[in-house]
Amino acid sequence: MAGNFWLSSHFQQWLFDRQDLIRERQEDYQVLTEEEYQKVMIFFANVMQAIGEPLKMKQQVIATATIYFKRFYIRNSLSSVDPLLMAPTCLFLASKVDEFGVQSNNRFIEVCRNVVKTKFGYAFQQEFQYRMPNIFECEFYLLEMMDCCLIVFHPYRPLVQFCQELGTSLDKKDQHQQDLILQTAWKTINDTLRTDICLLYPPYLVALACMQVACIILGKDFKQWFAELSVDIDKCVEVVKLILNLYDMWKTFDEKKEIPALLAKIPKPKSSPR
Amino acid sequence: MHSSIGLDGDFKVKTALERTKVEDIFSYEGCKVGRGTYGHVYKAKRKDGSDTREYALKLIEGTGISMSACREIALLRELRHPNVINLQKVFLSMSDRKVWLLFDYAEHDLWHIIKFHRAAKQSKKLVSTPTSMVKSLLHQILDGIRYLHHNWVLHRDLKPANILVMGDGAERGRVKIADMGFARLFNCPLKSFADLDPVVVTFWYRAPELLLGARHYTKAIDIWAIGCIFAELLTSEPIFHCRQEDIKVSNPYHREQLDKIFNVMGYPNERDWEDIKCMPEYSQMTKEFKKQNFHNLSLTKYSEKHKIKADGAAFALLSKMLIMDPTKRLTSDEALKDPYFSEDPQPTSDVFHGFAIPYAKREFITDDEEKEDPSKTAAAPSTVTIPSTAAGPSNDVSHNQRPAVKKIKLEPGQPGHGHDYHGHQAMHGHSGQSASSSSIASNNAGPSRNYPAQQQQPRY
Repeated sequence: MAGNFWLSSHFQQWLFDRQDLIRERQEDYQVLTEEEYQKVMIFFANVMQAIGEPLKMKQQVIATATIYFKRFYIRNSLSSVDPLLMAPTCLFLASKVDEFGVQSNNRFIEVCRNVVKTKFGYAFQQEFQYRMPNIFECEFYLLEMMDCCLIVFHPYRPLVQFCQELGTSLDKKDQHQQDLILQTAWKTINDTLRTDICLLYPPYLVALACMQVACIILGKDFKQWFAELSVDIDKCVEVVKLILNLYDMWKTFDEKKEIPALLAKIPKPKSSPR
Repeated sequence: MHSSIGLDGDFKVKTALERTKVEDIFSYEGCKVGRGTYGHVYKAKRKDGSDTREYALKLIEGTGISMSACREIALLRELRHPNVINLQKVFLSMSDRKVWLLFDYAEHDLWHIIKFHRAAKQSKKLVSTPTSMVKSLLHQILDGIRYLHHNWVLHRDLKPANILVMGDGAERGRVKIADMGFARLFNCPLKSFADLDPVVVTFWYRAPELLLGARHYTKAIDIWAIGCIFAELLTSEPIFHCRQEDIKVSNPYHREQLDKIFNVMGYPNERDWEDIKCMPEYSQMTKEFKKQNFHNLSLTKYSEKHKIKADGAAFALLSKMLIMDPTKRLTSDEALKDPYFSEDPQPTSDVFHGFAIPYAKREFITDDEEKEDPSKTAAAPSTVTIPSTAAGPSNDVSHNQRPAVKKIKLEPGQPGHGHDYHGHQAMHGHSGQSASSSSIASNNAGPSRNYPAQQQQPRY
């Protein structure tokens, strides 16, 4: 549903403020710091990206899955469902919503196994143990916890529109800059999926912030154009800051070294009630 | 049962306690009103009596979340318009992996309404569909579709059975567009539509470009279907009625259905439909059809024959919706601005305009009947006795036919075609099995064809 974001379940039910997130994650914040939690989220976003790519899933499907994953763990602690089961389940469901659908269940599990083994072996002692029945079961819980809100709005479409608008305001000789900004900002949007930004801000604002970050990276100055937009510049600056914070953190984040210890801190789901 | 790994036991217990079960809240046993490849529909009421409203509970066929269930839930969760069926709640049953959807209950649908008037017409009782009702129905259908189209949702399977109408109650006489299972977003096609659902729209309501192999669905395809429904409301007969046994499901090209359209509209000429040459099945069409066989045919001629005033506003609007070239067809916005709707009688929010509703309430289907017993007793309270003819011109099941396969890609675990049960008449045939229906035209001595039995149950 690409209709009206302001009437969507995304806007009405799935945008939070920072305090909401802190409160909802209380249980996890007992065992992980905020930064550690974010690192775990980054790690599983990477897992989803790595599974989605060989399955030729579109970036938008992977983005949707990443948001499903975050939504589930807002409502539930990381120990309620093994994130390694939830990550592929999110991809599986998102691929159906975005109408690609996984081509073959066997291949899907095979790719999960391979990716976990070859790319993330450092993080997991065991092989990927889940099979389709586990995915199916988990999928029901995911759908339930998301209150059946499956349509997610992404910043990609507003980004394209903003870039076109920017393009029309440019001189002919500067037209190519529009494409450069689009490409850079597109990648920045992918990076925002490694943060809470998509839970905190509407997609159009994220798109603008990513354009600003792109301008910083490319050393361009379109202050005038941004100023003429009727948007909350302060909010936009908040998003830019969060993106820059992520880049700062990335500089020192050594996944291979840190992730095993972080995962070890998360209590494992117990199959029978305690 | 597989071992449940990866899910915490306490988490499962906690969520099970919080979960509301459909059978705890609603009573619906023995109240099945619909059955099809899509699943079962029950008329339901709250057990605790906190409200006395009627609800429709749809139990989705099969287990788990199929792709079509997924799309249906995803879209219905976001859509909200007076003329689009409103999803109230989703019940997920963990133990049997069943999905239930809760809707408002709509007592009527255009399939039954048209059938009622057709039967009346055939028995010369002259209860023609009131012109004001036709206008109100069309207006609300267009309003609902405009909303869907503005939200980049295509219906793709519009037909009388999917147009529900609310019975007595708060929303009396309000149209509800239903059966959005195949609706999909189309502003960002990740895959070409033709790859996903090779055949989707029921053939009688299929736009010519689809029959000529168009690879992409468009808003114009829905408008064509609405045009067909409009014509059917005006005459009580499907405008492009077609025999079914020749349908090849895998191929969009359908000679007989095209023939039917050309027999009403005339053969499309390139002056009126420039891009027809680009249609994938254009060469096939030119091979199989001879232009001269269709000379002197037009929608105007058809309308005259069926007593639609050619100079009236209804015909003027109809002729702009049934334009062969999809690029020239009206949009829902344009159609709603048509003079037809501004001239008297004005469309009303209660399509019955306050008059007593002559149509029967839905009858319950028992499981016995589902096993192909065509005789049935109405368990539903029926305030209005309908003329016996309203049950259809023939009670002989073998003379009924369905227009098309409703759903081509059956999900694993769905029943075979023969399991469909269709209300008054048990339908034995799906497309491939409906050879018995060839006698349909000869069966009826009257001037018009038998009313074809298609989806006659509420499809939510």
